[in-house]
Amino acid sequence: MPEADLAPELSSTQTAILTAYSELIEEVGTDDVSFRLIAVRAGVGERTIFRYYPARVDLLLATSAWIERTIFTRQESESIFDVPLAIREAMEAYDRRPELAHVVAETALRGVNGAEPAPRRDRFDTMVRGEVPALAEHERRLLVAALCHLDSAATWVTMRRELGMAGRDIADAAMWAAEAQLDPIRDRAAG
Amino acid sequence: MDKPVDTEAAILGSAVALLREHTFEDISYLDLAEATAVSERTIYRRFPTRSHLLEALASWIEAEQFPLPQFRTPEEFREAVRARFRAYETAPGCAFVAARGAALSPTTQAPAVPITSAIFAMLDDAAPTLNGRDRQRIAAAARYFASPMFWARMRTGFDMSADETLEAFDRAMLPILAPARKTSWAA
Repeated sequence: MPEADLAPELSSTQTAILTAYSELIEEVGTDDVSFRLIAVRAGVGERTIFRYYPARVDLLLATSAWIERTIFTRQESESIFDVPLAIREAMEAYDRRPELAHVVAETALRGVNGAEPAPRRDRFDTMVRGEVPALAEHERRLLVAALCHLDSAATWVTMRRELGMAGRDIADAAMWAAEAQLDPIRDRAAG
Repeated sequence: MDKPVDTEAAILGSAVALLREHTFEDISYLDLAEATAVSERTIYRRFPTRSHLLEALASWIEAEQFPLPQFRTPEEFREAVRARFRAYETAPGCAFVAARGAALSPTTQAPAVPITSAIFAMLDDAAPTLNGRDRQRIAAAARYFASPMFWARMRTGFDMSADETLEAFDRAMLPILAPARKTSWAA
């Protein structure tokens, strides 16, 4: 499972809370969900939620991370040249759960107090370094940055919201853009 | 404040002022009410939830704080993006709100943002015979890399300055614009 090794150990109570909140987000949005409602849905006391997540923002960030790990799971790429395919699959997954895609996209753009904006940065960097060792460090950083930007829920949100694109067109455009990023290094892989 | 001035604009203006010192999360409706000299109820009536507030604030900031320079050619597009990234850097609190607001599930049918239609116009001018699929892919990618979201991700995830972010933008745009490119990009 990709990224699973980075995931914190969650108790079954925490999993129940995060599941309940993500369900309620899909039903009524992030704002209109009270801790009481989450507690009822999760089958725990309201005080239990506060013990794990003292503030709403703590709960939201934990839920967002959990959604990325369990619902928008990507198949692990063996090669950097497989990443466009993973991006395409991710876009299809976002398209199936639009409300959750918005939550994941928004929490990653909050700055230092938000969710990790480039969770696969180190993995991409390691793959590029291993497969295209001749690429200068600076060039590698710019390539990894572009791929991380494309490999995110914000891609789906922008293409949906700003361009009104359908799910399959978004999946195509995101994959195509990622392939284009790899064009300059296609024939520079180490033998 | 009894004058029939635009209350909504006044509230959003107060929010922008508060964003210089605080994050969006730290700004309560009570803070906004006090800064705008209106009742908390007035704020709730205009913005029933914080998502409504964030969304309205983001579009207001985009229009008022970071107005998009006009562009018609790829070179002018690049200059417009450079100016925006630099402006984001001078007001990061506002820029993060702009990025976040653009990621929200829309509560209202927002009017089309001018940058998207300007990108299509630029492409149609630079490559009038481009097929429809590539036209859409290129416009979508260009729109996404020119957004405050890209600036925000580069800043938090890669610790990049505005100028480094422009460099990453150049690197990303080079192969994306290749099918539509007749003149050189960022030569």
